[in-house]
Amino acid sequence: MMRFSRSLLAATALAAALVSIAPATGAELVIGRPASPATFDPGFLKEAATLVDNVFDTLVLRDAEMKLVPGLALSWKALDDTTWEIKLRPGIKFHNGEAFDAEAVKFTFERVLDPAAKSPTISYIRTVAGVDVVDPLTVRIRTNGPDPLLPTRLSRYPAYIVPPAYVKQVGAAEFARRPVGTGPYKVTEFVPDDHVTMVANEAYWRGKATIDKVVWRPIPEATARIAALLSGEVQFIESVPAELVDTLKTSGAADVVDVKNGGLTIYLGLKSAEKPLDDARVRRALSLAIDRKGLTTDILKGKATPTGTQVSPFDAGYKDIPTPAYDPAAAKKLLAEAGYPNGFTIRFQAPRRYISSAEVAQAVVQQWAAIGVKAELEVPEWSVYAQQVPAGKQAPIYMLAWGSTQTLDADAALYAILKSGEPYSTVADKALDALLDESRKTIAPDARAAIFAKIQDHAAETVPLITLYREDSLYGKAKSVTFGGRPDARIPVYDIRVVK
Amino acid sequence: MRLAAFLAHRLALALVVLVGVSLVVFLCLFLTGDPAALMLPPDATRDEIQRFRAAMGFDDPWVVQYLRWIGRIVLDGDFGTSLRFGRPVGELIRERLPATALLAVVALAWSTAVGFVLGTIAAVRRGGFVDFLVRAIALSGQAIPVFWLGLLLILFVSLRLRWLPTGGYGEARHLVLPAIALGAYYMSAVTRLVRASLIEALDQDYVRTARAKGLSEWRVVVRHALRNALIPVVTVQAMYFASLLGGALVTEIVFAWPGIGRLAVQAIQNRDFPLAQSIVLLAAAVFVVTNLLVDILYVVLNPRIRL
Repeated sequence: MMRFSRSLLAATALAAALVSIAPATGAELVIGRPASPATFDPGFLKEAATLVDNVFDTLVLRDAEMKLVPGLALSWKALDDTTWEIKLRPGIKFHNGEAFDAEAVKFTFERVLDPAAKSPTISYIRTVAGVDVVDPLTVRIRTNGPDPLLPTRLSRYPAYIVPPAYVKQVGAAEFARRPVGTGPYKVTEFVPDDHVTMVANEAYWRGKATIDKVVWRPIPEATARIAALLSGEVQFIESVPAELVDTLKTSGAADVVDVKNGGLTIYLGLKSAEKPLDDARVRRALSLAIDRKGLTTDILKGKATPTGTQVSPFDAGYKDIPTPAYDPAAAKKLLAEAGYPNGFTIRFQAPRRYISSAEVAQAVVQQWAAIGVKAELEVPEWSVYAQQVPAGKQAPIYMLAWGSTQTLDADAALYAILKSGEPYSTVADKALDALLDESRKTIAPDARAAIFAKIQDHAAETVPLITLYREDSLYGKAKSVTFGGRPDARIPVYDIRVVK
Repeated sequence: MRLAAFLAHRLALALVVLVGVSLVVFLCLFLTGDPAALMLPPDATRDEIQRFRAAMGFDDPWVVQYLRWIGRIVLDGDFGTSLRFGRPVGELIRERLPATALLAVVALAWSTAVGFVLGTIAAVRRGGFVDFLVRAIALSGQAIPVFWLGLLLILFVSLRLRWLPTGGYGEARHLVLPAIALGAYYMSAVTRLVRASLIEALDQDYVRTARAKGLSEWRVVVRHALRNALIPVVTVQAMYFASLLGGALVTEIVFAWPGIGRLAVQAIQNRDFPLAQSIVLLAAAVFVVTNLLVDILYVVLNPRIRL
């Protein structure tokens, strides 16, 4: 109720406030995000790497089309199944003048891989067995077994290259506050929970950025964030709530950047080892009874796309699986075949975390009621729920979102939630396990894609979890700002332009 | 001597309260699970989570974890290290405290001043139209949720009128709206309290005596009645200030104010145990100390209170 009244208020008041934006100053950009970063150390992040991404570089970059392109590496190639040779870009310097070379790469990986460092992001590079310096501009990365995703791992945190001499000199704590990278922007001020100021790195290897100064302001409350955009205090905001999109559009003062399929994929996890969810007919029935199109149109106001697979169209290995039909009659029949002609009662948890997620869950409860399934809905507090799920203490049916935005590969979208024994998986399907194992051993892209296609077909058939829809990611920007939005959710200020 | 015994007794009680609070806070967070899974990326394996949990000491029995936490605070003054920020908790709280204190002091100052004026006017004009108006304002002030008032202020003052920024910190103009939003509730409370206790005081015999002496009504109200009406107001003010320092949670979030309240909410959302526990403990300590000071102040202010 509180949520409803608040958005209604915001919508009416914002609609009333017909305003024009102050002209942006060309060389400056103020960005409003829901949260402030806690640290700038890219090896030890517990949050999205949005800001870090503008300060540091990775060996491999993703261009606007999401293709992997050379970054601090000039080239990379697999020498054999477990060794990659990487040639480094010469003449690059960190913001403090320190030279970038093979030692920096080795240092970057080893400080995260060191068990004593307790890095929270170690799992992203856990396949790396070691880094060998061949010469100052060549490194070899050894992996524990074949790893087709190594170049992708080199394109994201924690693989942002850090300056060894500086980190050793000032220590990790100081480095996290006063970061030094090779990236397009230098951090000049970092006041946690208040603002971060960055200025363009004059000596950037891709050329100096066109925006001289960027200020990042945390604005936790969505309505305040939108008001700040409309009043011209900020020119760009992250996370526009779906219910405020139309208000923003009709204000005439700002634009909405709607990245279709740019967000997380919402699904209903099923404890498929327990009765009655151990029967594939029951799982299929629950899936058929849900009107996905109705959910995305009526509740999410079109800011999500119904889908039949957890894999995003931007991911390597995506197969276009049709969205499951909405067919309550067929669902009822399947339930009867499975021995539940009168349905059953089951617990269902859905956090108030994703776009209108609690409302969606209520709608699903009603749709299930139509086939006789009585779902007892609980809306848990997120921080409690978020640790119940990986501990296996959640309800038999639970709503969760999964994304592959940082990796853009089917592996990230599937493995952790389908492979038996993984913390976030409640699936136990030997056929799926075999296919998932095979996918991690296969390097040739075509062969991998074929395996992922099989996995997605198998999942569509046996419904190990109920895929619902994929959220859009929504940004707001002043009309003077050009930004198309990226499927990997990064905000590279280097590529943003401010026109007068 | 009696004062010393009184103080010792109050101090001992305060200590018991603090230990109780620390235990409750600790158990509340402990019982709802540890943050290991939240701190690691979603693709961490069960082994990695378990290793991390062991390394952080999350798998020790709760008594051990509690004593370790309390022991470090008592012995070394060390509140631990924030799990999310990776920095000492004491340092984080010290960093945010000035912002919250500034907001609290300003909000309390204007709300007290306005509350006194409105309450006095209403009491003197009891039953009249002005009284009705003041009571209506006071009632709405206490009934309007602070997030709603905050958003309204942002939408009209910042967005429509463009007078003040929507949020932020650093200059006086950033302070105005959050201070208004935060103070509105207390202003109303003070108004009602001043009105009520002044009305009571105005009915007392000494006021009749003062009037009988031929003093002006203004002198009767301010010099005689208001002074005696002060005591309950002082108590409540002290409690308000303590609760404000404990964190103006909602206000700080709506206006992106970098204070303790926002730090607390983040700490709870991230299950940042050491930080969340320490902030709650600190808030409790402020309460207990303020209470103690008020008790002592009473003895000084009011000779009728005998030990």
